[in-house]
Amino acid sequence: MSNLTKNIIRFIVFVILQALIFNQLEIGFGIHLMVHPLFIMLLPFEMGVISLMGLAFLMGIIIDIFSNTYGLHASSLVMMAYFRPIVFKFYGPREGYDPLKEPSVFDMGNRWFTLVFGYLLLIHHFWYFLVEIFQFNQFLFILQKTVFSIIPSFFICLLLQSFLIKKSKTK
Amino acid sequence: MINFAFMRNLIAFLRRFRIFLVFAFLQVISLLIYVQFLSFPRSQYLTTASNVTAKVLTWENDVTKHFDLSKNNWALQRENIRLRQRLPEFMYTLSTTKVKVEDTVFEQQYTYIPGEVINSSVTRRNNYFTLNIGSKQGVKRDMGVFSDKGVVGIVHNVSEHYCVVKSVLTEDINIDVIIEPIHIEGILKWDGHDARRGSIDGISNDLRIKKWSRVVTRGGSGIFPKGIPVGKVESIKPIEGESLWDVVIRYSEDYRTLQRVYVVKNLMIEEQKALEGLIPPDKEEDLLQ
Repeated sequence: MSNLTKNIIRFIVFVILQALIFNQLEIGFGIHLMVHPLFIMLLPFEMGVISLMGLAFLMGIIIDIFSNTYGLHASSLVMMAYFRPIVFKFYGPREGYDPLKEPSVFDMGNRWFTLVFGYLLLIHHFWYFLVEIFQFNQFLFILQKTVFSIIPSFFICLLLQSFLIKKSKTK
Repeated sequence: MINFAFMRNLIAFLRRFRIFLVFAFLQVISLLIYVQFLSFPRSQYLTTASNVTAKVLTWENDVTKHFDLSKNNWALQRENIRLRQRLPEFMYTLSTTKVKVEDTVFEQQYTYIPGEVINSSVTRRNNYFTLNIGSKQGVKRDMGVFSDKGVVGIVHNVSEHYCVVKSVLTEDINIDVIIEPIHIEGILKWDGHDARRGSIDGISNDLRIKKWSRVVTRGGSGIFPKGIPVGKVESIKPIEGESLWDVVIRYSEDYRTLQRVYVVKNLMIEEQKALEGLIPPDKEEDLLQ
């Protein structure tokens, strides 16, 4: 399967997962599960940031249409796509990333994935709840929602990877 | 030559900051859509009222609606009993000298359109419900929506077969309610924390409110009939520095499992609007005096 078809299928799978399953789950305690950032995370290393942001915007808008949030998911996903190369550069190996590998937990290791995806998820969730609530006297509530949502989202993303992707065939 | 240098600088600038410019452009677009649609949706295409989205959500609902089936049947049965008890055949006649009167005193003001919730959320800051009825069934913007247990919201956006309801779990829902039995008026608000509790604004703290007194709609603006249940007063606290109570209510409807709702159609809304439109707007000079 070529890289393009693989990513198109992933795009559809993640939109369906987020819009029809995770957006419908109501757990309480202000937990809001969001797994679609994983799609932006798993795009190839060599992809340019402008096409990243374009894809993020498209995906965000589609999820917004399904959940009546009118651009909220799009805004936070574009935010995350903008920061992705910056965080990648910061934690990257000195000789640069191997283009045959994928930025998944299997190819890059637990430590790298936890740090990079953790930061990106933090940016995404924080921006999402900041724009959604948008009241500065509720700042503690924003932080509480961010922290409570990140932890289960992160672990579900870890689980999803073992269902959806395989280790790349590199020596 | 100056012009040429300027152009070259501009292109260099755009090249250098093109990533940030694209980023800013996309952010501005998405936030603009967000702010605009929160207050007044200009089209149905970016909401769940659009045909494709609603169709997909209907498929999903066809699967998930059976999860609460027995509970919903039970609720409908209870409502039926409540209504049946009002029928004259179900009452024991105390007076034997009953006279039948042709009734010309009452005229129908409200009719109801039944509908089903196909998509909902309760955990966001602003929660919307999608119903499977639309303009073909006579739903219009700003109609009230309620269920057998309590008030649900106001219609926000309509397409041909679907509509989106702005629920009471949104920031600026502002339904006018009264606290029974002594008719204290206030405005319903939601702070975004708990889907089971809301609050009432604008109640002066010299009024005495009993705990667990019923809260119902006031029916002043013609969106809801009078007396649709909203909830019960759970706690009353003074707000510091203001002469108002902070009244927390517990909703009588559990919005997390809501399925069957009714849309209120007020047959006299045009008349009321036309009459209220005759009131001259407040002039600035009057306000300053």
